[in-house]
Amino acid sequence: MTRGAVLFLTGALVAVFSVPTAAYLKLGTRVGTRTVTLKWSQFPIRYFITDRGTTGVTSTQLRQTVQTAFSTWEAVPTSTTSSEFVGFTLANPSSRDGATVIGFQNRPDLERTLGATSFIVDTTTGAIVESDIFFNTAFPWSVSAQGETGLFDLESIALHEIGHLHGLAHSAMGETELRAGGRRVIAAEAVMFPIAFSAGTILGRTLKTDDIAGIGDIYPNSTYTRNTGSISGKVTKNGAGVLGAHVIAFDMRTQTLVGGFSLSEDGTFVIAGLDPGPHVLRVEPLDDGDIESFFDATLNIDVNFQPQFYDKIVVVPKGGGTSGVELNVVAK
Amino acid sequence: MIRHTRIRLLHVTSFLVLVWSASPHSAAAQVYIGSDIPHRGNVEISGGAVWSGGYDLGSASAEETRNTGTGTGPFVLFSTSSRADASPGLQARLGAYLAASLSIEGGVLVARPGISTRLTGDAESAPDITATETLTRLIIDGSALFHLRGASFGGGKGVPFILGGGGYLRDAHDKNEVIETGREFHVGGGLHYWFGQGKHRFGVRAEAGISRRTGGADSIDTTRTVLTVAGSIAYLF
Repeated sequence: MTRGAVLFLTGALVAVFSVPTAAYLKLGTRVGTRTVTLKWSQFPIRYFITDRGTTGVTSTQLRQTVQTAFSTWEAVPTSTTSSEFVGFTLANPSSRDGATVIGFQNRPDLERTLGATSFIVDTTTGAIVESDIFFNTAFPWSVSAQGETGLFDLESIALHEIGHLHGLAHSAMGETELRAGGRRVIAAEAVMFPIAFSAGTILGRTLKTDDIAGIGDIYPNSTYTRNTGSISGKVTKNGAGVLGAHVIAFDMRTQTLVGGFSLSEDGTFVIAGLDPGPHVLRVEPLDDGDIESFFDATLNIDVNFQPQFYDKIVVVPKGGGTSGVELNVVAK
Repeated sequence: MIRHTRIRLLHVTSFLVLVWSASPHSAAAQVYIGSDIPHRGNVEISGGAVWSGGYDLGSASAEETRNTGTGTGPFVLFSTSSRADASPGLQARLGAYLAASLSIEGGVLVARPGISTRLTGDAESAPDITATETLTRLIIDGSALFHLRGASFGGGKGVPFILGGGGYLRDAHDKNEVIETGREFHVGGGLHYWFGQGKHRFGVRAEAGISRRTGGADSIDTTRTVLTVAGSIAYLF
């Protein structure tokens, strides 16, 4: 099989704008002249499952797997979300009918896409009206608890797509290598990394700190507001702002990683949802995935600089923020 | 005979026993034996410099979950190794003699220790670097001092002591935006040397000890041992 290991989980099928002041990356949409976070305004998220299975996976197993993936996101202690399975439907997951539909669909034309999430958005508020997810039956799927060699783990991919459904964009918390046919993941520390782990593994079933920070940022509860903090600052090169730089905060106490991007022309970044305590910062160019997996293609993302560390330890306050970090990078 | 017995006790007694000796029963047995030795009712004020040793804060790795078929073990993005630097500070103490051989005191210590983290082994060749920060540390503590009168010298002007106690540790990070607190316990020993003969006397005080600390800013959830050395000017009245 030459499908290879390079399979993009999604290119969210909406015009995606990055939202300023976001860590990781949140989906956004234009409302007038503003860019607002794409998010659900009402819970529970009510969804249907297309009553169609694929080889090795029945529609009932699909429903159970999707439910498990929703539950994983809903268990995040710093965020409040909920969902409700409404029933099976004959509608395809690409229908634009006001109903959120999740199901299998045969898309051999998308030869590198395991699944994708699409949205219908209220353009006056940015609220998500409908979000559909399809899993591409051009690939072999498994719902085995331990995973199956050569088959993609449906729960891992569902967890990623449901992250999109909630409004999360891609995380750059991973490393890849270029091989014939595209990129292969060497390692990743976010379910929302755009390229899947190899077939046969179930490594993608567990949310990472980066994912948890992201969902908390979009749907924060009182625990998030009270117990987490943020780091903000600017990434500059030769005195000018750098757009699209990936900034990583490493918590030396919990040994966890959360990433964010500089999301404006002046290089401003914010990484939110961090545990209080000392962090070290590292900035790198966005070179472990296609830029279009993260940002609108019209943006001028700067990848011409060397990775580097920040020379100060940054301490995150509980329920507050540390600002004024200046990361000055140099060209390669 | 009484004096000889006390000397022997000093070598074997524990802190709890020292506290016991401060009971009214023991105190009542103390006898003022001359102006060369501080005695019950004296008050001591001292202030001076403290040096606290540096210590290791441990290592950590920024790890990512490795994909199958790309190697073994977690993928290490980079590694950190942290250390609290040795630092000078200032201290002030106020004590009261409950007996010629026993005093209690409270004190405050202020220091500006530095924390440094060495960042190495970046998977994408980011240059190694040392990231730093400076803390404002405040320690408020209490101690019991047992004065070794039997080991005094210089006509009673020099009096060794041993001490033990504990306190509250407060670390403020740069800009004092974040406060982290902890506890400390200390034991040590030192020497007073008093000048003059009157009730009101100046003297010098030198001491060294170890401090066991938990919490505060520079911990990675560990208890650490810190060597301390201090020198002060003291006033007795």
